[in-house]
Amino acid sequence: MSNENREVILSIKHVDVTFDQGHKRKLVAVKDANFDIYKGETFALVGESGSGKTTLGRAIMRINPCSAGEIVFEGKRISGKISREEDRNVVRNIQMIFQDPAASLNERATIDYCVSEGLYNFHLYSSEEERIAKVDKALEDVGLLPEHKSRYPHEFSGGQRQRVGIARAMIMDPKFIVADEPISALDVSIRAQVLNLMNKLKAERNLTYLFIAHDLSVVRFIADRIAVIHHGEIVEIAESETLFKYPIHPYTTALLSTVPMPDPLVEKNRKHIVYDPNQLDQSGEERQMRELRPGHFVHCTSKEFAEYEEKIAKMEQDRN
Amino acid sequence: MEEKNITGEKDLFGFASFDKYESEHIAAPQYSYWKSVWRTFIKNKFTVAVAILMIVLVLFALIQPMFSGYDPLYAPNVTDESMRFVKPCKEHIFGTDNVGNEVFDVVWAGARNSIIISFVCTFINMIIGITIGAIWGFSKKMDKWMIEVYNIVSNVPFLLLAMILSYVLGAGMGTLIFVMCITDWIFVAYFIRTQVMIIRDREYNLASKCLGTSTWTMIKNNILPYLISVIMTYVARMIPSLISYEVFLSYMGLGLGVTKASLGRMISIYTSYMNGYPHLFWIPVIVLALLSVSLYIVGQKLADAADPRTHM
Repeated sequence: MSNENREVILSIKHVDVTFDQGHKRKLVAVKDANFDIYKGETFALVGESGSGKTTLGRAIMRINPCSAGEIVFEGKRISGKISREEDRNVVRNIQMIFQDPAASLNERATIDYCVSEGLYNFHLYSSEEERIAKVDKALEDVGLLPEHKSRYPHEFSGGQRQRVGIARAMIMDPKFIVADEPISALDVSIRAQVLNLMNKLKAERNLTYLFIAHDLSVVRFIADRIAVIHHGEIVEIAESETLFKYPIHPYTTALLSTVPMPDPLVEKNRKHIVYDPNQLDQSGEERQMRELRPGHFVHCTSKEFAEYEEKIAKMEQDRN
Repeated sequence: MEEKNITGEKDLFGFASFDKYESEHIAAPQYSYWKSVWRTFIKNKFTVAVAILMIVLVLFALIQPMFSGYDPLYAPNVTDESMRFVKPCKEHIFGTDNVGNEVFDVVWAGARNSIIISFVCTFINMIIGITIGAIWGFSKKMDKWMIEVYNIVSNVPFLLLAMILSYVLGAGMGTLIFVMCITDWIFVAYFIRTQVMIIRDREYNLASKCLGTSTWTMIKNNILPYLISVIMTYVARMIPSLISYEVFLSYMGLGLGVTKASLGRMISIYTSYMNGYPHLFWIPVIVLALLSVSLYIVGQKLADAADPRTHM
């Protein structure tokens, strides 16, 4: 699929996110993130804990401000100061699914209130009956019952709670959803249920997802394109299958080598690759995203680029 | 599918139907917050007993003075020697005092004023404190200067302020309420600010923010419901402490004027008769203690019951 002809829904342009730690100390959580997300795709952001993937997701939600660069949604800048009207437009169109369903629902509010919170804020209903109908529909879409409305979040199981979280986001009829590790806090037995639900909703409503995860096997199942992030820097972006077939950046190969295999024999012989940033080019040349193959970007210096070019050519040869 | 088994009969087992909504059903009865608070509260017999004692004391103090018509300026038996310093007996339940008034009437009239003042002051302090504290906890800009205001106000010696104000404004109920509210609200506000800051950045509040909820709605629906229990604890501490403060100020001569019955002033006058007629001193002190302690215990137990962690 050629990327040039596709409509960009959200683009991240050289975004930095820094946290001020006082005494002029700064923590750079995200460095020079630069990529586009196309309409209708599931774009995954993977990395180890503390790599800045959640921070980037929150920067899109405007919870964390960008210290440099800008985020553009449907052609309009949404980072920094924007008008109240645009702000409301962004809130309606970009929604988030949170990691921990237990922590992200108001324990003292009924499910009815949790789900209709967005409706109240934007007056997306003309009468009380319409609001109830909308809430019932939203609950039904995620496989919950209307009778759950009078219940409190603590009465639900983890999977049900996460579905309430999804219903709350979906009721706004958004175009873009940031899913921040939506299944990592869930029991293994219900992860598939939530993933399938997300895929079903995506197909029905033509949604675009930014799927933040650390679990590569999940990402392979759900994502169209994957960006690998390490220490706040995006090191490789490629289409899902390409990334799994031809991982180029040493960090990506290391990350892929950690995926557990369900076969004990394979698992026994699995070779862990430990990522060592010292093996990278130390010439001091500024690294930048370079396109190795169409749609396959690697963060590297020109010297590394030549090495990677050789490596990928060899891999392609081996495959054929 | 109708498969025959070996005996040729129809199979006794069939496929059960699967209802996907049945698995989503929650069997537990409906949960209601305030009902659960009530149930937890009345579960403990001791609490119920103290609550009844508290209600009786408060109602008695509010109603009895209406019938006795006690007025501190009016002492009809002052000339009658036989009516002074009568020990508690059948006709005079709590005995009589140095001017021949019934101690029973004096105590309840005094308790009434103490209760009214402490309830009104607590109410005012809480309303102002919670409102300002909630905004204070949310707004970083306000925090910068409010913390300075807090530092200044909280370092003003309370007794000095009470003295000056009561001299300037004249002793009386209004002055006393004003004195007890003018600085106290800032402690409530500071307390609420800290509580708000603790839960302000929790994930469910971020979620509300992502849904476009305004700060006010967030305070109302996300923050304050979580604070019911700690606010109740605060109220439970504040009411008895304000009763004691009223008594203390009146005892020092800074509280209610001579025209108003006051437990504090009564205790201060009766102290001088402590050797000969100890009942004059002990009865008002015991009534005060019972009132304070029962209010405190009921408040604490209510605060415990208001914490949903105790509901399971």
